[in-house]
Order: sequence, then C-alpha cells, then structure tokens
Amino acid sequence: MKISILYRTALFCIFFGLGFIGCKTKESKDRPKKIAIVISTLNNPWFVFLAQKAEEKAKQLGYESKVFDSQNNTAQETDHFDNAIASGYDAILFNPTDADGSIVNVKNAVSAGIPVFCMDREVNANGIATSQILSDSYSGCVAIGKYFVETLNKKGKYVEILGMVGDNNTWNRSKGFHSVVDFYPGLKMVAQQSADFDRNKAMEVMESLLQAHPDIDGVFCGNDAMAMGAYQALVASGKADRVKVFGFDGAEDVVKSIQDGKILATGMQFPEVMAQTAATFADEYFKGKRDFPRKMPVAVEMVRKDNVENYAAYGEKE
Amino acid sequence: MPKPIRYLIYAAAIALLAYNSVYFKKLDEVKAGNTVFDAAGYAKDFWEKKLTPGLSKAMNLNALTSLLKADKEKAFNEHSHALGIGNIRYFLVKGRGVVTDVDENEVSVQLTDANGKAVTPQVRIATEYIFGNAVRDASGAIDINAFANSMDFNNVSAEINKIIREKVVPPFKSKVQKGDRVAFHGAIELNRAHLQTGNIEIIPVSLQIEKP
Repeated sequence: MKISILYRTALFCIFFGLGFIGCKTKESKDRPKKIAIVISTLNNPWFVFLAQKAEEKAKQLGYESKVFDSQNNTAQETDHFDNAIASGYDAILFNPTDADGSIVNVKNAVSAGIPVFCMDREVNANGIATSQILSDSYSGCVAIGKYFVETLNKKGKYVEILGMVGDNNTWNRSKGFHSVVDFYPGLKMVAQQSADFDRNKAMEVMESLLQAHPDIDGVFCGNDAMAMGAYQALVASGKADRVKVFGFDGAEDVVKSIQDGKILATGMQFPEVMAQTAATFADEYFKGKRDFPRKMPVAVEMVRKDNVENYAAYGEKE
Repeated sequence: MPKPIRYLIYAAAIALLAYNSVYFKKLDEVKAGNTVFDAAGYAKDFWEKKLTPGLSKAMNLNALTSLLKADKEKAFNEHSHALGIGNIRYFLVKGRGVVTDVDENEVSVQLTDANGKAVTPQVRIATEYIFGNAVRDASGAIDINAFANSMDFNNVSAEINKIIREKVVPPFKSKVQKGDRVAFHGAIELNRAHLQTGNIEIIPVSLQIEKP
C-alpha cells in the first residue's frame, strides 16, 4: 500500500511536470519574439541613430522590440539586463557602456539562454557574446594614416588627440594610424593627449598644445567631435589654413567641413549596417542558426574632398 | 578492525586525496598553452601554402574590368572577397602591361591584351604604400573565425604587407624602367557602392620584368 501511494505520487508529479512544460513550450512558441535593444547612451545622436535602425529592422523582421538607455552607466545597464531577462526577452542587441564592466551583463544574459549581439562597441571577452558586430576602426585608420602621409609628403610635426583611454576603439584607431605613419621617420609626433571624444575638451587640449608646439603640420583625432574642437582652436590661433586636420566617425559637421576644405578626411562608419546585421543575426538565431562569427568587422570608408559627394552623416547618401 | 589495517586505509585515503589534488605538468606544455598569436608565422604559412599556390585562380584584370562594366553584381558576387561586411571588397588579379611611369611611390602600367595591344585602364602598382587588407582578404582563403580577436587578423595583414615590402618590391623597384614589359599578380580594393575603375591600385604579390 505504501509503495502504491509513492508510485501514484511519482506518476502524478511526472504528468503534472510534463503538462507544465507543455504549457510553457506552447506559450513560448505562440507569443511573438521580443528583442531588447540596450544602448550605452541616447544622449549622442550617433547612438540614437543606431538604436532607431535596430528597432526598425527588428520590426521589419516581425519582432517586438524596446530600447533601453544605459545613460553611460554600467549599473543602469545591469538593471536593463535584469529587466530584459525577467521580462522574457528572447535576444539582446547590445551597445556596451564599458568593454570590461559590461562583460558580466553579457554573461548573465547568455547563461539565461538569451543571445547577445554587440553593436559598434565590444566587450573584452572572447566567445562570451553570441557575436560582436564592430566597425573596422583599425583598417579605417590605416587608410587615413596612408592619406595623412601622402598629404604631409612624409615629413612634418603632428599631434594626436586620443578618445577615452579606456575604450578599445580609441586604441584600435590609434594603432591603425600608427601602423602606417610610424614607417616614416620624417613624421614626428610631438604630442599625444586624450580629450575623451569631447569637442570642448579637444579645443582646450589643442589650444594648450599649440602654445607648446606652434609649428605643427597635422592633427589626427580619434573622432570627429574632437576634430571639430581641434579645428576651432586652430581657427582661433590663425593656423587653420596651414595645419591639416583628420577625424573619424562620419559626423554631419565633419562631412560638411570636408566639402568646405576645412577638414582633410574622416573614416565613415555605418551604424545602420551594424544595427541591421545584429537584428538579422537575432532572427537567424531564432530560426536555429548557432555558428555566428565571434567578431564581424564592418568596413570603414575614408571620406575626403574627392569622394565626399557620395556620403552623408552616418553613411552613404540614399 | 585491527589498528594496522585502519592506519593502512587512512594512509591510502590520504594518498588518494593528495594524488588527485596536485597535478604536475611540464613547463613547456604550460608555456605552449599561453603563447600569444604568432602573426608573422601565420602570414608566412599563408603566403607559402595558400596565397602563392592560389595565384593561378587570380582573375585577369582586363576581363575583370570588362565584367565590372557589364555586370557589376556578378563580378563582386563571384570574384571578390572580404573578411568583414560592407562596401569594401578585394579581388585577386593578374595582368601584363607596359610601364609608362616610375616614381618614388608607384609604377604606372598600361595594360595589354594577349596580343600585346594596349587596353584600358591604366593601373598603378604600389611600391611604397603597402598597407591595408587587400592581399590578406583577396584570395578568400582566410576564415575570420580562425582568429580569437580582431587585433590578430590586423597583425596578419601587417605581416603579409611586410613580406611584400621586403621580398616582392625591392628586386622589382631597383630594376624597373619606363617602357619595360611587366607581368604581375596582386590584390586590388574596390568599393561596391562607389565603383571607380579608372585609378586602380595593385598591391603586388608577384612581379616580373619580361624581356622586350
């Protein structure tokens, strides 16, 4: 009799459990998939554009999506990830706030069975994110470095204004540029200083650098905001016509400045391509694909006066 | 249980625990596991085992430019490669021509057809600015998933370019003159969205000055 009760209880549990799993599976299959789009900051139009394009592509593929703004704060980002996991999101398109600080969030989501596709910024851990779709900043800056050498005719003094020193993009861009320019001993870097990707800081940095090095011939900046700041400082000191300024990003004001001959060149990034690829990868993941490239570089194109007519902010003209 | 047997069991248990708690490995094996990616070795291997044997598959540049005019999409879809995504694509090409100019950065070449007759376009063989990913990507023989991080495949490009700069360019650059007939294999970069075939730059993989 005792065995019989145990036997019946076990059978009940098995059937109940199976029924429960069946209900859950049915519910998961029936409801539309949801995609969370977690962005480092929506205080920068470049990232707003990235989020919009990811949202558009997710909708086009038939998925619900919601954009979360981390406000450049990893704690906020962690809250968004916890929320996304608890709310049953099926994939996360992710623009990390911090290459190291964001790793734990990616790990938590992937452990919960949610694929994470990084866009534009990477996390410093291989094989954690499902895939990382990133601008090929290094190669873009190789092209800029080559043009820099050509326009300065292999000789002269120059300064480099770096982005945030803790950001991988800062060093990928700097390394790409130096992989070319350092071949030419006639080109001397007289100063290298960070301005945190900020236009006003770059203007201040350039003002002080010009006092110490009034005879420079070129400036390489890690992004376009800093290129504009450096250019403003050069205008104020009356050296804008002599000193050649190079940026990176493909921002609207720099594209216009290249047309006007104020800035020499920039590296055009394609946030739309990155956002669309991330959303497409999520779609493919839902359909069963698992072998995604760990890192997918997106080509950066150099924009200069002789091809600027092909480009507008954040990519090509329609 | 007799004391000796009990002690024997205790000793066996401790020995078993100790054996499973400590592992000994040869230092060489540990060091091998922590080695950084050898970009120079990878580039040399790629050059000798994949790129050079694969040059027979290079497309004739005259045929490629004709195909680009007739059917751009087909030309890019069937003959271009790139490790990443975007408009920048690379082609492995070959051709012959007559040198029209030699300067410190490049050698200008007027392409010729099989009968030695001049055909458009004029191209430039780079001899100074050997940079970028053209040669690494053009053959399509490298898989991006073989690399643990992006700096590894950037370094592979740099090492391939170093081979070209040190072994391919110097013997050619020291002898080439205006009017020479030359044959080349190399890689070119083209932008799929903004195609320009009038000013093609070739990053050379092999260069020969042929007898007139």
